[in-house]
Amino acid sequence: MTGDATTATAEGPTRLVGWRRAVSLLGSLQGYIGLVLVLAFGIVTRGGTFLSQSNLTNAVGAFASRGILAVGETLVILTAGIDLSVGSMLGLASMVSAMLLVNQNLPPWVILPACMLCGAVMGLANGIGTTWLRIQPFVMTLATLSVFRGIDRQLSDNVSVGTQVAGADGKLTGNADSFQLFGTPGHNLFTGVVGAGVYYPVLAFVVVCVVGQLALSQTRFGRHVYAVGGNEAAARLSGVNTDRVKIAVFTLCGLLAGFAGPIDAAYSASADPLAGTSYELDAIAAAVIGGASLAGGRGSIVGTFVGALILTLLDNVLGLNAVSDNLQLIIKGCIVVVAVVLQRPDLLRGAADFVRRVARRGAPASTGRSS
Amino acid sequence: MRLRTLASLAALVLAGAVPAGCASTASPTTGGGGSGGHFVVAYSQSNNAEPYRAQLNIQLQYFMKKYKDVTLLPIADAKQSSATQVSQVQQFVQRKVNALIVSPNEPAPLTAAVKQACQAKIPVVILDRSVNTDCYSAFIGGDNYVAGKKAGELAVKLLPNGGTVGELQGILSDQPQIDRDRGFRDAVKANPKIRISVHREAKWLKDDATRITGQWLAQGQHLDLVYAQNDPMALGAYLAASSAGKEKSMKFIGTDGLAIPDGGIRAVQQGQLAGTFIYPTCAKQAAETVNALLHHRKVAKKTTLDIVAVTPDNAAQMYRDNDFSKFR
Repeated sequence: MTGDATTATAEGPTRLVGWRRAVSLLGSLQGYIGLVLVLAFGIVTRGGTFLSQSNLTNAVGAFASRGILAVGETLVILTAGIDLSVGSMLGLASMVSAMLLVNQNLPPWVILPACMLCGAVMGLANGIGTTWLRIQPFVMTLATLSVFRGIDRQLSDNVSVGTQVAGADGKLTGNADSFQLFGTPGHNLFTGVVGAGVYYPVLAFVVVCVVGQLALSQTRFGRHVYAVGGNEAAARLSGVNTDRVKIAVFTLCGLLAGFAGPIDAAYSASADPLAGTSYELDAIAAAVIGGASLAGGRGSIVGTFVGALILTLLDNVLGLNAVSDNLQLIIKGCIVVVAVVLQRPDLLRGAADFVRRVARRGAPASTGRSS
Repeated sequence: MRLRTLASLAALVLAGAVPAGCASTASPTTGGGGSGGHFVVAYSQSNNAEPYRAQLNIQLQYFMKKYKDVTLLPIADAKQSSATQVSQVQQFVQRKVNALIVSPNEPAPLTAAVKQACQAKIPVVILDRSVNTDCYSAFIGGDNYVAGKKAGELAVKLLPNGGTVGELQGILSDQPQIDRDRGFRDAVKANPKIRISVHREAKWLKDDATRITGQWLAQGQHLDLVYAQNDPMALGAYLAASSAGKEKSMKFIGTDGLAIPDGGIRAVQQGQLAGTFIYPTCAKQAAETVNALLHHRKVAKKTTLDIVAVTPDNAAQMYRDNDFSKFR
């Protein structure tokens, strides 16, 4: 984007440079404009309530499992792939977590890695299908969306499994009690140490985003992910094992879905056989609003984090303002369009050029001075 | 050009012959029933994935097993698609089953298929949702208006001095939602001091209900009672309230009353819900009706089953009476 400003000097008068630079700076920040607008809307209409810690925790916590899916989804989208099975993987992982708790009475610190392993195996299957079997990611993951959901429903026999297991004394068993820390509303980590404590789903989401962003921007693996998505043939010719990168991102995506499974089960205090249905759409939406291109090679985890915040805070603001359910659907859809347009610096620049041209025609003396 | 026409004609003939062949080979094995013989019954379920319907399936299989001369084919799941269900019913008609049970996904699309079964002289028992024809043998269902009304009456009893109520609704266009909502609102009119201050669509889902109730409480809404049109939503509201430390000062009413560990009856037993209402699965009555029809006995054309209230006093008993997990 800085390159645009230098080319501008070649083709236009020098006083345009400042204008161009401003637009370019705006371009790099405009991903956050959507979030700022939503925040501003919330603060103006519902100030204290909206900003209260409990409300923000509720809002982010409700979206955390989908947010974590969105991080995995972003990795896949960066390689120009897509994973439609994330919702089903989350559903199966959430069912596995509840069954391990209820039937095997395992402690949470055993359940979590077990679910992640389960998710990673599912993701690996997606990766193998798309690389070795050369099935398009859309088709492969559409198929596994159905397969994983089927396994989930077969395991559970279509009956939801409650995670608040009571022992003989009528109180929750030790493991069931600590399982609630995965995200049953009102159960926080480190209570007493940090004020009201930390709500695990929010913490998990933030940590996953930070680790994901660092892995993308600081490691060789991250550069390879961008390379494969940007131009697969070029990446292969320059020595990147593209199949391995793709299998890795699908496996990571599955692993993250497995990681999010227990959060989803704990949030509802129950694993529903239909849990996670259509979550893939929310995950893809968060990634795209955050600036990821479905064509691959462009996007970031920070962007996805912002996209997820936009989606959930918007829902929260509309809810707090008691906007009717029908109207909410319309508004949410329109916001997606606006957010994606804001992500496109070229569109904004084009519009600015158009405005300037019109202004120049109207009043030749004031050219470009408006900036 | 002509070659292609010929080819497509041949394909058409083949396509016609295959199902016809299937039907003719199937008829001696399945269609051979009659008085004194063995009967084959098929059941088309609108959506196995709803807990209420999963429960219905388990119960129906259990009750059908009691009739030694009747075999229930594997239950066909229409997966919430009326088109799938129409073709399933048609397949059963082709197979010439001796009787058919249908839980219609939607009334209008299933009407034609039920008529086809009726014209093929197959007795049809319709469960819970109606069809737009009289050409069936029996209808058995609950009454969602009554379910909502009874919930409203309980709310009136729980709030003798009036108060504010939040209503969590199912998918707004679903008929059970419309009827339960109407019943509830009609019943709470008995006490003008009861006000439904907020109502939102939580799509029958627990996590949506948790999120929405959390938003209500964050708004500073004072709620004395939450009425949810099904138990998962009521339990979601309870979760949100307990997170805000308000579960003791609020009351929660659900509906459905499934006897599963994660269901409403257990929640009433544990004191999370003030009450729930057993919406009948109709499985027992369906099995009895089908058996009567197969033996050419007269059955009632339309049966509406009662809505049973679950209270803290009778919850344990209700759970025992309705628990079918051992037959799974």
